[in-house]
Amino acid sequence: MQQIRQGDRRVAVVIGSGSVKCAASLGLFRALKRHGIGVSMLVGCSAGCLYASMLALGKDTAEAAEATARLWTRDVAGHRNRMALLKLLMPRTFGFDGEFGLRSDKVIMARLRTAFGDAQIEDAQIPLYLAATDFLTGQQKIFSRGSIVDAIRASIAVPFLFSPWRIDDRLYVDGYVSDPLPVGVAIKEGARVIVAMGFESPTQERITSGARFAFQLSSILSNNLLKSQFAFHGLAHYAEILPIIPEFTERVHLFDTGKIPYLIEEGERAAEAQMPYLTRLLDADASEAQSRAAN
Amino acid sequence: MKVSVKPMDGSIVVCIEGSVDGLTADELLAKLDEQVDAGKVRLVADLSGLEYTSSAGLRALLGTVKRARNKGGDLRLAAVQQPVFKVLDLAGFTGILKIFDDVPSAVASFK
Repeated sequence: MQQIRQGDRRVAVVIGSGSVKCAASLGLFRALKRHGIGVSMLVGCSAGCLYASMLALGKDTAEAAEATARLWTRDVAGHRNRMALLKLLMPRTFGFDGEFGLRSDKVIMARLRTAFGDAQIEDAQIPLYLAATDFLTGQQKIFSRGSIVDAIRASIAVPFLFSPWRIDDRLYVDGYVSDPLPVGVAIKEGARVIVAMGFESPTQERITSGARFAFQLSSILSNNLLKSQFAFHGLAHYAEILPIIPEFTERVHLFDTGKIPYLIEEGERAAEAQMPYLTRLLDADASEAQSRAAN
Repeated sequence: MKVSVKPMDGSIVVCIEGSVDGLTADELLAKLDEQVDAGKVRLVADLSGLEYTSSAGLRALLGTVKRARNKGGDLRLAAVQQPVFKVLDLAGFTGILKIFDDVPSAVASFK
């Protein structure tokens, strides 16, 4: 039996959309680290981009948890975009256009700039791919170069809440609109073993406002899209995809940053259950690669 | 992973325990293919002891479903545990496969 070095064990990690639930990915990282499994690439979608970016830039899980707790608070969506309301009510007078969002993005932009500054995707220590959606064509857009702040802002442009984001004269909306768990990106980039952490959008207990009505429709659509896309990628490709789906017994709301420790714990628990198999799989994979290289 | 096969009231119950994944899926598929090749196409997968399935496991199950249905039979799932159910649901399997609470109910469904 050939010796497998710990550095030989590497997986691609995909963090799907899921707002604050994406913090569970930090638990996944803890488990991977404890078992000596490295990460060859990181793919993020929507809020998953926040964690993918922090980890790819070299922050440890404690730093990433702390940074997102500061960044992703309720007040990022607490300020109305009054002009958007006027545009909605009187579209001809105020000139309704594609850059529509009911909430101001001033707070979230300031916080993204504080957290990431001028960092570029191509400068990340781990290859990083951030998924958004082209607002005009509906196609998935993968950012693998350029400003991390811009790519994250595009990927978290939750329809109706934040306006689509313009990059190089094109408008982008939230990545979940095209694929809430973009494992296809890792497959396209050549990953053989993909660990995918995805989350279903919460549905509303009561529909008491237009916003809740819109979010309910959005959740239904994105949950169905999540399943259909995962089914296609899981069944149509040779790559080994390990879905990690944390079990949240507590209800987690969009900005429940106080629950980040709980989310990390559940993410770690769900990931830990798969570590024995993942280690065996990666050992077998590395052993095969060593044999090929020796021949 | 452990796979055992036993006949029950005209069906074949395939008991799958442990983890079905890239390292074990071929072995499972071979066992299931043996049954289908022998014309035993009323298949019930007893998943009470299955802890996890990756995409490779899903592909093995789906391949068997297709082959069994082409020959007039089916692969039906029984006693699926919650972690596995979540993966099956995420992959759309709950919409295309018949799933039962226990093995006797799945076997009875073929009558």
